[in-house]
Amino acid sequence: MIKPSNIEIDREKGNFHYPTSKYAFDAGVGLSEDVVKYISGVKKEKDWILDFRLKAYSIFKKKPMPTHWASKDLENIDFDVIRYYLAQGQQPSRTWEEVPDDIKKTFERLGIPEQERKFLAGVEAQFDSEAAYSRMKEGLEKEGVIFVGSTEGLRDYPEIFKKWFGKVIPTSDNKFSALNSAVFSGGSFIYVPPGVKLSQPLQAYFRINAENFGQFERTLIIADEGAEITYMEGCTAPKFETSTLHSAVVELVALKGAKIQYITVQNWSNNVFNLVTKRAMAHEEAEVRWIDCNIGSRLTMKYPGVILKGRKARGEVLSIALANDGQHQDTGAKMVHAASETTSNVIAKSVSIGQGRSSYRGLVQIPGHLKHCKNNTECDALLINSDSQTDTYPAISIQGDDNSVQHEASVSKVSAEQIFYMQQRGLNQAEAMSLYVNGFVNDLIREFPMEYSVELKRLIDMEMEGSVG
Amino acid sequence: MTTHFKSPDFFQTFSEKRSWEPGWMADFRKDSWSRYSELPKSKLKDERWRFSPRARFSYSNCEQLRDSPKQTKLVNNNSKKVIFESFDQAILEHPNLLSKLPSLTGPQLGSDETFLLGSSFSESGFLLNAGEGVKEEAAFVCNHFAPKENHSLFQQNIVTLAPFAELTLIEYFDSEDDSTIGVLSNLSHIHLGEGAKLNRIVVQRINSHSTFHHLEKIELERNSQFNNISLQLGSAQTRVESRGDILGEGAEFNNYSLSLGRNEQLFDQRTIQHHIAPHGKSNLLFKNALLDESKSVFSGLIKVDPKAQNTDSFQTNRNLLLSKEAEADSLPGLEILANEVKCSHGATTSKIDDQELFYLQSRGISKSIAEKLIVLGFFEDIIGRAGNSDTIESLRNEVSNYFKS
Repeated sequence: MIKPSNIEIDREKGNFHYPTSKYAFDAGVGLSEDVVKYISGVKKEKDWILDFRLKAYSIFKKKPMPTHWASKDLENIDFDVIRYYLAQGQQPSRTWEEVPDDIKKTFERLGIPEQERKFLAGVEAQFDSEAAYSRMKEGLEKEGVIFVGSTEGLRDYPEIFKKWFGKVIPTSDNKFSALNSAVFSGGSFIYVPPGVKLSQPLQAYFRINAENFGQFERTLIIADEGAEITYMEGCTAPKFETSTLHSAVVELVALKGAKIQYITVQNWSNNVFNLVTKRAMAHEEAEVRWIDCNIGSRLTMKYPGVILKGRKARGEVLSIALANDGQHQDTGAKMVHAASETTSNVIAKSVSIGQGRSSYRGLVQIPGHLKHCKNNTECDALLINSDSQTDTYPAISIQGDDNSVQHEASVSKVSAEQIFYMQQRGLNQAEAMSLYVNGFVNDLIREFPMEYSVELKRLIDMEMEGSVG
Repeated sequence: MTTHFKSPDFFQTFSEKRSWEPGWMADFRKDSWSRYSELPKSKLKDERWRFSPRARFSYSNCEQLRDSPKQTKLVNNNSKKVIFESFDQAILEHPNLLSKLPSLTGPQLGSDETFLLGSSFSESGFLLNAGEGVKEEAAFVCNHFAPKENHSLFQQNIVTLAPFAELTLIEYFDSEDDSTIGVLSNLSHIHLGEGAKLNRIVVQRINSHSTFHHLEKIELERNSQFNNISLQLGSAQTRVESRGDILGEGAEFNNYSLSLGRNEQLFDQRTIQHHIAPHGKSNLLFKNALLDESKSVFSGLIKVDPKAQNTDSFQTNRNLLLSKEAEADSLPGLEILANEVKCSHGATTSKIDDQELFYLQSRGISKSIAEKLIVLGFFEDIIGRAGNSDTIESLRNEVSNYFKS
């Protein structure tokens, strides 16, 4: 048993302290070719994966920071003090006592079961519901579904995953996708065979992995012809995370007629840079839907995209962002139409509280040789306090005389009249405010599975505390 | 003989030609020119030029100036209460009204090069100055001319309205001839004092080979009002940069523009509505109808500072694509730092409604006429704001003339 020591949840900028004494594999501080080779070596990877990583590393070094359009806050990331790979030899490696009180309190208030709390806090990787999980796993296997980690996926099922790995998001897409490609570990690789329709959503934290979900996870989901899958990552409780940079790559492939729904609730503690590249490829008549909810982190930059590659494909992004003091939620969507009769829909709602800043950044592209393509984008922003900030930066590039797009954005504040109405019905100001904000995002929250939407509502209540009066 | 704006000899020759100017003007030109010659090479990725084929706005084929450029022609300048003079005349007769030139910054939306060139080499344009409370019914009209035969012309216009003055200004932009290349760079500085009101109409009919740079900055003091209607019809490529700064409480900024793109025409439009003071209003509507292989880029920003509470600000971009090869890029932006605001933007791009077209055709109207009628209808809510019915009718005709029957 390892002796508990105090883990610092550090909310100060620039402090990258990391307790490391208890990890069996540690790639050290900073990034170099040796670190990349070390990671690949620990994972006993095939040569082509090592080559892929090394090539990615050289691209990462060459790519500039995207500060010509993005937040200057990115310059505060010091790549030399980050640890790129840590794996625990045994588990659990942290104890419940180490988890900070405010996080414990949040678990309690969200009503998460005791055992699950420990897992969510990264204390334990398994819990007593293992039996239930095993049954579920058995059922999946019978259907031919593959649900493994990135290392296993590439090692055990190269014939399935190699074809699409790094194809939806090329390594050179951006600096952070290159970084992820060089040092990725963890994540989920999923394959759903033709015609299989999963009735239960697959959840990231059900998968028991020797290694915790890392900072640089890599996810690849392939839904074969006519298959259907809902995948959920993250959880509504704050992720107790000591690392300061999270940079994932998520690739989805929906083959002919397949449907993929990918749900994220991001609630990192607010010292984390969350820079994630997510993109899907939708083939003929396929449907991809991203549901994205960002509540935590210091800076999130995430623009889930869909490449509508086949005729009649459909892409959708539903996005909720809550930015509180010291947070910048820079989120949005990309819809690239590459076939006729494709449709896409983006609905983004953001709430800025205190000095929080939320931004919508979007891209819609329709070339002229396509027919009957449609896009609808709606962005609504709500500003709670006088020093809150919201921005909208869409980019819409349309050619041809047979396509149509519409984009609308509005900014509003809380209506004093409605707050007054609720107050005279006996709610106090904070409750009224909370109800108002919940109402603002309600039509999107309804899209979440029931237990998530309940927790999300509670979470919004908590975020709203102390924001008025 | 090849010449370059960056060559010291070229600037020297130009200075000698204008040696009659007062010393501060010469210093200002020299300072601007040295800043221009030190400009860093344009960055490959500049957000302010996103989607724009930037090379098309280069001066490279036209780096020479006419010995005696065709001056802006002023009409109806017989008002006693208003100063309305050409740029050169203003330098001689009203240097005090131009002395603020060195402190002006322009729209700052990407064309640093054009701004500095304009400050260095301007030799045309006009001064419009109205004293306190002066109201004139009749419009002040001027004609600007794009140069011919691979020349460039830079001009500056300074419009200053003292508190409670009210004027109407109509500006026509044409070419000296119809068949040769030229570049016209037009830089306007407009300042409206408290309660002042300026209605402006711009009709741009430059020939289809030439390049047009149109940069302007409008500053609005308390309760002032600026109403603009632009018809961008001509030129091979037009870059518009328009900045409206709401400096005083309760000011109102209305900016309406239409572009009709044919052949390979390019309209690159960058705008900002910057609310610095509270209780301001701004409304922007840019409509582009694009035929053939024409292209439009609209990039607009509403910026509301933390102090600018109770702002109402709207921005709309509508694009009508009439051919397969036409392209409309839209970058409508918002940056809101105050919460007591009403702000929204909308951007749509679509084609002509098949049913509307069918309806007209079923009444015996040919397809091309039907398209023309629909485009005219599309532009009507901009043209219809031009005030009296004579003006509206003449603007309709301006657009209509651009359709080959």
